[in-house]
Amino acid sequence: MQSTNSAISDFQITPLSDRSVLVSFGNIIDPSINEKVLFLHRALLRSRFEGFVESVPAYASLAIFYDVPQIRRHAQSSAFAFVKKCLHQLLQQRYAASEPVDPITRIPVCYDAEFGIDIGKVAEGHRLTIDEVISLHTSVIYRVYMIGFMPGFAYMGTVTEKLITPRKDQPALYVPAGSVGIAGAQTGIYPIDSPGGWHIIGKTPLRLFDTNNLSPCLLSAGDQVQFVSIDKNEFKRTDVH
Amino acid sequence: MSIKIIKPGMFATIQDLGRNGYRSVGIGPGGAMDFFAASIANFLVGNDAKCPVIEMHFPAAEILFEEDALVSITGGDFDGYADDEPVGSWKPFLIKKNKSLWFKKPVHGVRIYLSIHGGIASGNWLNSFSTHTKVKAGGHKGRPLLKGDIIPFDSTGSLMPIESFPALAGMIGPVYQPANIFRCIAGPEWNLVNHESQAKFSLLPFSITNQSDRMGYRLKGRGLALQEPVQLVSSPVDSGTIQLLPNGQLIVLMADHQTTGGYPRIANVIGADLPKLAQSPIHSELKFKLIGVESAEEFLFLLYQTLESIKDICKNYYDAYRHQL
Repeated sequence: MQSTNSAISDFQITPLSDRSVLVSFGNIIDPSINEKVLFLHRALLRSRFEGFVESVPAYASLAIFYDVPQIRRHAQSSAFAFVKKCLHQLLQQRYAASEPVDPITRIPVCYDAEFGIDIGKVAEGHRLTIDEVISLHTSVIYRVYMIGFMPGFAYMGTVTEKLITPRKDQPALYVPAGSVGIAGAQTGIYPIDSPGGWHIIGKTPLRLFDTNNLSPCLLSAGDQVQFVSIDKNEFKRTDVH
Repeated sequence: MSIKIIKPGMFATIQDLGRNGYRSVGIGPGGAMDFFAASIANFLVGNDAKCPVIEMHFPAAEILFEEDALVSITGGDFDGYADDEPVGSWKPFLIKKNKSLWFKKPVHGVRIYLSIHGGIASGNWLNSFSTHTKVKAGGHKGRPLLKGDIIPFDSTGSLMPIESFPALAGMIGPVYQPANIFRCIAGPEWNLVNHESQAKFSLLPFSITNQSDRMGYRLKGRGLALQEPVQLVSSPVDSGTIQLLPNGQLIVLMADHQTTGGYPRIANVIGADLPKLAQSPIHSELKFKLIGVESAEEFLFLLYQTLESIKDICKNYYDAYRHQL
C-alpha cells in the first residue's frame, strides 16, 4: 500500500449515541478504506484524549466511545463538539497507510465434510470440486477487516469471486466453535458455539477466543491470515475444542 | 459470611457498570441494564458505584442470608420481604442472619438490584464483574444464579444504624417519568428513512414484544421503510441504538448487545432514558421523541449529577456515623 502526503478528506462524523460518535469513510469492503479506519483507530489509541473510552474499527467506519461527564468537567463545549474537534485534528495529520506489515497468521483448517458441513453444497453451487474449493480458499491471504458480531469473530476478506456465496436463508441453530464459513465475499471463523447463517466449509483446531487470556482474541483488525488445509488425523491430534 | 440461593428466580445475574475497552474484539459492555438503580443500590449501603450487585427479574430469587448484612434493593418494586417483614426499596436495611429475602409480586418495573455492604464476591473478567453468559465469564461462574449457589460477602457493615436515612424519592422519581416517552437522537442512517416513516416514528406508538431481553427489545408498531433498499457493511452500534429490520419493525439494543451490526441505525435512545427503558415491561407502549445530541448530552450530564448528589448524601450519612466511633 502506498503512502500519501495528504490528510484524509473523505469522511463524515455523526453521533452514534449521546456517548459515541461514528466516523464513516464509506460503505464498501475495501482495504484502502479499512486502512483509513485503522489509521484513525491507532492515532486515537496513541493520543487518548481526556475522556476517551475506546474506539471500535469496522469495515469502513470507526466508533469512538467517550465519557460525557469527564469531558464536560474540562471542556468548554459539549462533549460531542469536543470529540469532534479532536477527531478533526487527528484526521488532519498526514495520512500514511503504509504501517509495518504484520506477519501472516497461518490457520490450519480441516475441510472434511464432517466439519465443513456445507462444503459440498458450496462446491456444487459454483460447479467446482471440493478440492478446488479448498485450493481457492487457501490460496488467498485475507485481511482481518474487523472483529464484531460476537466476541472474537473476525470478518476476513475477500474470497475469490468463484467462492462468493450468499448467506443461508435460514441460519443454522448451532454452529460449533472453530467452524470456518463464507458469507458473500467474506470468510470468518466462529470463535464460540453459536447460531449462524454462514455456509460452513471447514473447522480449525485452534482456539480463536480464550477467556483465560488477558488478550482473549487471537486475531485483531488489520491482521493478515492464510488458511492451511490439514487432514482429519492432524485435526484430531491438535483439536482444542 | 455468605448468601445462599434458595430459589434461583428468572435470570438473576451478577452485574456491575459494565466492561469497557473490549468492544474492538467483539466484547460488548454488558453490565446492569438500569445503571442508575445499580449505582444507587451501592451508594445506599456505602459501596462504590462499581461494586457488583445482583440483577433480578420476576420471579426473583429467594436468598438466605447466613450472616447479618446491610443491604438495599433498587430499580423496580417486587414487594420484597425478609421472612415476613416488608423491606421496601431505595433505602438501606439490615437483614438478620438466617432470614430469607424473597419477593411477592411485581408492583412496577422489570428489574431490581440487590447490593450488600462491602460487595459480593464474584469473578472479575477483563476488569468487570458483569456476567457474560455467552462466553461464560465474569460474575458467578459466568452464568445466571442457580439453586444452591453460595456467594460470600463482607459482613462488616451490619453494625451501621440506618433508622434516620434521608429520603431520596424526590431525586429518583423524575428519572423514570414520564414512563412512556423516550427521547432519542437521529442515528447515522436516519436520512435513509423515507419521509412518511420518519413522521410515523415520532408520532405513532410502538409496543415492547415478548422477544425482548438483555440483548435488545423487539418492538411492534406500524412498519417503517427506507427511501430505497440499501446494503450496509457491518458497523458499530451502541446501547439504545434503534435498528430498522428488513420487515419494517424496530429493535432497540440493550446492555448485552452485539458490538456491530448491518441494519440501518435510524435513531438512538438517549443515555438518560436507558434506565427507564430497562424498567419498561413487555407489552407496554412507548413513543419516541427526537432531540438534538447536545440536549441529549445535557440530560445525561444531569443524570450523572443526580447520581453524584445521591452518592454525596449517602457518603455524608455514613461518614457522620463513622466519626461517632
